[in-house]
Amino acid sequence: MASHSESIIREPLITGTNITYGQITDDVLRPVENMPGKAWWIGFTVASLGATLWVVAISYTFWFGIGAWGLNKTVGWAWDITGFVWWVGIGHAGTLISAVLLLFRQNWRNSINRSAEAMTIFAVICAATYIGAHMGRPWMAVYSLPLPNQYGSLWVNWNSPLIWDVFAISTYFSVSLVFWYTGLLPDIATIRDRATGLRRRIYSVLSFGWTGSVKTWQRFETVSLILAGISTPLVLSVHTIVSMDFATSLEPGWHTTIFPPYFVAGAIFSGFAMVQTLLLVARKVLGLENYITMFHIESMNKIILLTGSIVGVAYLTELFIAFYSQAEYEQYAFMNRISGPYWWAYWSMMTCNVITPQLFWFKKIRTNIPLAWTLSIVVNIGMWFERFVIIVTSLHRDYIPSSWAMFYPTWVDVSIFIGSIGLFFTMFLLFIRVLPSVAMAEVKLILKSSSEQAKRKILENGHVEPAEAEFYIGSLGKFDSVEQSSYEKV
Amino acid sequence: MDSNKKYWKGLEELNKTPEFVEKNKNEFAEPIPIEEVLSGSGLSAKTPRRDFLKALGFGVGAVTLAACQKVPVHKSIPYLIKPEEVTPGVANYYSSTYEGQAILVKTREGRPIKVEGNPNDVFAKGGLSAQAQASVLDLYDVNRTKDPKIDGSDAAWPEVDAFVLRELAAIAAGGKGIRIVTSTIHSPSTLAVIADFVAKYPTAKHINYDAVSYTGIIQANQNSFGKAALPHYNFDKAEVIVSFGADFLGSWISPEEFTRQYVSNRNSKSLESKKMSRHIQFEAGMSLTGTNADNRYPIKPSEEGVALLSLYNAVAGTSLAGSKKLSNKAIDNAITLAAKELVAAKGKALVVAGSNDVATQTLVNAINSLLGSYGSTIDLDNPSKQFAGNDQDFVAFVNELTRGEVGAVLFLNANPAYDYFKAKDFTDALKKVRLKISFSDHDDETALLSNVIAPNHHYLESWGDANAVEGYYTVVQPTINPVYNTRQAEQSLLVWSESPVKDYYTYVRNTWDKGLLAKGGLSGQKGWEELLQKGMIKTAPLAAGTYTFGHELNAVAQTILDHSASLVSGDNFELQVYQSVAMGDGKRANNPWLQELPDPVSKVTWDNFAAMSLSDIKKLGYEEGDVIKIEANGYSVEVPVLAQPGQAQGTISVAVGYGRVSAGPVGNNVGKNAFPFYSFRNGTLQTTAVITKFGKTGIISPLAQTQTHHSYEGRSVIREASFTAYKKNPAAGSGNEGEHKDYNKTSLWDDHDRPVYDWVMAIDLNACTGCGACVVACSAENNIPVVGKDEVKRRREMHWIRIDRYYSFNDHGNSEEAVTKEKEIAKLTNFDNVSVVHQPMLCQHCDHAPCETVCPVLATVHSSEGLNQMAYNRCIGTRYCANNCPYKVRRFNWFNYWNDSRFDNYLNNEHTQLVLNPDVTTRFRGVMEKCSMCVQRIQAGKLKAKMEKRPLKDGEIKVACQQTCSANAIVFGNRNDKNSEVYKALQSERTYYVLEELNVQPGIGYQVKVRNLSELEA
Repeated sequence: MASHSESIIREPLITGTNITYGQITDDVLRPVENMPGKAWWIGFTVASLGATLWVVAISYTFWFGIGAWGLNKTVGWAWDITGFVWWVGIGHAGTLISAVLLLFRQNWRNSINRSAEAMTIFAVICAATYIGAHMGRPWMAVYSLPLPNQYGSLWVNWNSPLIWDVFAISTYFSVSLVFWYTGLLPDIATIRDRATGLRRRIYSVLSFGWTGSVKTWQRFETVSLILAGISTPLVLSVHTIVSMDFATSLEPGWHTTIFPPYFVAGAIFSGFAMVQTLLLVARKVLGLENYITMFHIESMNKIILLTGSIVGVAYLTELFIAFYSQAEYEQYAFMNRISGPYWWAYWSMMTCNVITPQLFWFKKIRTNIPLAWTLSIVVNIGMWFERFVIIVTSLHRDYIPSSWAMFYPTWVDVSIFIGSIGLFFTMFLLFIRVLPSVAMAEVKLILKSSSEQAKRKILENGHVEPAEAEFYIGSLGKFDSVEQSSYEKV
Repeated sequence: MDSNKKYWKGLEELNKTPEFVEKNKNEFAEPIPIEEVLSGSGLSAKTPRRDFLKALGFGVGAVTLAACQKVPVHKSIPYLIKPEEVTPGVANYYSSTYEGQAILVKTREGRPIKVEGNPNDVFAKGGLSAQAQASVLDLYDVNRTKDPKIDGSDAAWPEVDAFVLRELAAIAAGGKGIRIVTSTIHSPSTLAVIADFVAKYPTAKHINYDAVSYTGIIQANQNSFGKAALPHYNFDKAEVIVSFGADFLGSWISPEEFTRQYVSNRNSKSLESKKMSRHIQFEAGMSLTGTNADNRYPIKPSEEGVALLSLYNAVAGTSLAGSKKLSNKAIDNAITLAAKELVAAKGKALVVAGSNDVATQTLVNAINSLLGSYGSTIDLDNPSKQFAGNDQDFVAFVNELTRGEVGAVLFLNANPAYDYFKAKDFTDALKKVRLKISFSDHDDETALLSNVIAPNHHYLESWGDANAVEGYYTVVQPTINPVYNTRQAEQSLLVWSESPVKDYYTYVRNTWDKGLLAKGGLSGQKGWEELLQKGMIKTAPLAAGTYTFGHELNAVAQTILDHSASLVSGDNFELQVYQSVAMGDGKRANNPWLQELPDPVSKVTWDNFAAMSLSDIKKLGYEEGDVIKIEANGYSVEVPVLAQPGQAQGTISVAVGYGRVSAGPVGNNVGKNAFPFYSFRNGTLQTTAVITKFGKTGIISPLAQTQTHHSYEGRSVIREASFTAYKKNPAAGSGNEGEHKDYNKTSLWDDHDRPVYDWVMAIDLNACTGCGACVVACSAENNIPVVGKDEVKRRREMHWIRIDRYYSFNDHGNSEEAVTKEKEIAKLTNFDNVSVVHQPMLCQHCDHAPCETVCPVLATVHSSEGLNQMAYNRCIGTRYCANNCPYKVRRFNWFNYWNDSRFDNYLNNEHTQLVLNPDVTTRFRGVMEKCSMCVQRIQAGKLKAKMEKRPLKDGEIKVACQQTCSANAIVFGNRNDKNSEVYKALQSERTYYVLEELNVQPGIGYQVKVRNLSELEA
């Protein structure tokens, strides 16, 4: 896209010296073209054990019934829908990065969009399994589709937010998958071109006959843009609709108009946290420090800070509205969240989502990889609690006090959740073995304009305001992949 | 216009070449190479097209056939010769009798599936208790004794008869006694059979033995009036009722009858005429009756005698020797006030006491006599025959056994090995008896000790009769052939007494022909048939005479005081043993419907417990569910603690009827046996004792409660008013004191059409006593699964109707308002002033049903008759509807409760499944269910009216909960019919709708609870 020289004061998006197109390909394809290392095997073993636990727990549920979970007559949803919303939310970062940031020409997305999109797809798969699993009769799930049938005019209920959900999630999944795969085509072609034998045959089928001609590239760019355009509204719509599962009901604590924006912000919040969780490890293990740089990390932390603050404001608004409404049941629902039997869940949520992300105001913390990783985990925990608080603490004490009840999870509840994380990581780990985890083609696009070496060349050529040069060199201080001392001579 | 244009296809045609002309003669210009294809390589190519199609066709066909696995076919065999009166799909009703109460038995295709009250029954006029409703399930109990047994091994009836006759003859010859031990029998025929037996074996004697007896009352009446009878009480004639521990609405003598009578002075009709009875209850544990009282005061068992003496003094204006003031000032005042009110209502007052102590009951008689209750609220001339057991007789019998004077014992519906307070003494003594015969239909505790088990029929398989109250005779007729190889006990007795009448049916006929039919003005075969149809005869009651008490009271007072003093021992807690409403004396412990019926007060299922006051629990640092060991009268049990608001401080209550060890797999080891806490004193069994020791065991056994939050948090879900306020404004407390707010004024939705019917309900909170009979009736009608203790603990009971029970506290010192909020209750120190309200809660059939909008697959939709309906087949089980139901009345099938070996206490066998109502489908796991307002009954009613070509009459369709309600608290009907009972009930100023502010437009209107609080009290 951008072939012109970029302003010197912008931080580089690719670090390292002597990075060539070939070097990028070599670096990115290292895990794909070589046998996995010890770290991968350990990770994969743990993750697939988790996935096995998921298979066991889900099978147990299918065999005996939903009664295997801790639900009861009062609390009809708990860890299932908590898990569902959590995973769907996580998916949102991928779409935001790939679509919205593309439209806004945020080139830094190029290094992270591939993994983020992959994460989206795997997260949506995990979420979808919850939709299936939480049904009492999953074998009748087809009833939720508006298929022609022999029962006269028997149709689905268009009033039900769950039907909206069916469409939202399935659209989201299919668009994300197409977008992701389209982006993969040139990179798969690269693998094909370097591979031999059976691998070559497989990748050539997968590459859909990519030729790399100018026309192909032009169409590729067009399709990417169109798909970005289609995906962008999904960033907002999917979680809006998920939030309507709650907002359109009449449960105190659910029946709130603030839910759509609040849920979308929360989704992006948790999604970026998950991207951070994954990439901070991946860049180290896969040796991608030059492509996923401190600039990326810091940018994502800023987004986490922003969305975390939005979520915090939403929490406070909810409390205020409950007070201001003077609605008896609404007020009780929020008092109960704060000080009822599940107070610890509410305060875990508040701490993890509102208070700790504020630490990202400090640059030191934003650019500290271990801290950023820890905080990303904290945010993930907090967002899980948010959904748990919304679902369980609203349901367990609603209108009729005689039916108030507590929810206690069973081993099956816990196993399905832990197992879904295992499933997610199994898929992700397989993904980084067989497909490039960084969009090579897109990174190559910005090599000439936004890389450290390109900027260095500008500096070496002179013609730069000394103040700007100093600013630029100063900004490199945070990069763990740059030797700032090497700039002393320049 | 003709066209002369000629088109040609090619130059050949234009030129008409000879070749063209030649070729064009044939149909095809060129020969088709058919032969070539058929004989050439066309078909023998590698994969010719035809072969491929053939293979494909065969393949698909074969796979299809292989996939058509044979579906298991259950051949239903139609009647070869159809009985005239049985039409498949149409229910037949037979009149019969349950424990003296006339009933109707609903049978389908020859099997009884439900028991319903007989509207002409004198007791409850169609109402039926939970136990009666549940009794049909016992018929299908697979754990019944299936064959007669001699010494534990199956035998044939002739063998048994030969053995018994031989033994009896030998025993009679030896001069040893023969004893027939039965629970109270009031059946004229059975009594005659026993008399015949006694005539045959002169050493034989009949002993009435009731596990929970009323000897105290009977004996007191003997002492006071020379009439050893259990009086017939008329609560409907009482304007002021003071009860000392008598749970007359729950378990005392004839609760269904008393409920009907009691409510008649408190229901809408009574309120509209500005009349409401006053009910004051003094008791230790919170009983169902206590929850309904206008004023209820917790007193210790040891204070009861003193309180009664004070009441006597206050009523009589005298002071009996030894009487003293109660230590609790508030209760002392209450007694004084109660006395004033009683005296003011002279002739329309009633004092009852639950005690089985003769002296206490004598004092009660004295008070009632002063109040002129005899002849009005108490009828001694048409006595009740429901309980005739005499404690002393049984104690004497055990002594006889010990002395070895008895050669044979026959147990009929009596299980002293379980429910006698000194069971060990009894079982040891029983070993000395040569012949022990049990008629039990289960291998119960006593049957296991018997040589011979001659299993009795279930009552639905039996012939018989009953005479539960003077002048009221009912008939028992079988509704099914005996399921197992059982024989009616009376038949066995006839055989063993070598009676000339060979079968019991003839015997019953003879009894009725000889005298009983004539009492009802009937005679002959026709009279008998009419009796079978009506189920009863009722003779004109004898005039109730007035009785004057003439017994010396000072000695009585002394006995009472001695007894009271014996219950006080330092700071020791006092124990009260009571009958729970669901389990009674424990005879039906193997009935899962009853085990799962939440106790009306504590909401506990599948267990008994130690009820303690909140203050005591706080003081001792106990938690609910802590198992404590209680020791009294040399016996101890370990039961979990229940925090019971209203429990008298320093007391613990434990229910009998639990802790069976040989009831069957359902009832075995559910709870602990509390009968051994009884003591024998002054000729009767006493239900109170001093707890010599109690303390935590360290075990925690959480109780399976269906309700764990007990206050209504000041929410408008419950609305109540005082009778004073009601008299000023009938709308008091209903929230409609001003104008009734129309929440539907600005609705987003179009209203559903309800062109003909609009089925709704009205529930009178002031009539509902909370007994829970409706819960069991609903289970029986709608095939509601039993889920067991663990599932109830997980809050998964399936009942479509539940009774919400809320406590509120009156903190007199601080505020006039009742304290209903959890957080404020936690601050209270005095928990004695408890008010209770019962609220039946079921699907409200909202016209703007929140469940309907959220179901993704339209599995729950609105009918054109105002019903919210479930299509089970369409449900995929997202549970969204249940979450969005503000009333939380939807129930999810978490497991396959009726076909999962882990839920072995209910329908997990084909035999018990015969009790299912064929009009209601059973639900698979993963499906939501809820109250359907007995839509099958609505359909049946409409169909009947249609076939008879007439409009449906109001009240013709009764839903199951309404039908069994002795209090008539539930009215069901068509709101479109402005003359219907339900329409009128809903027009009452007291009517309000629960959560109406949500504008879900519920279809069930509730009527405000009214409390007749004392006007004399400050």
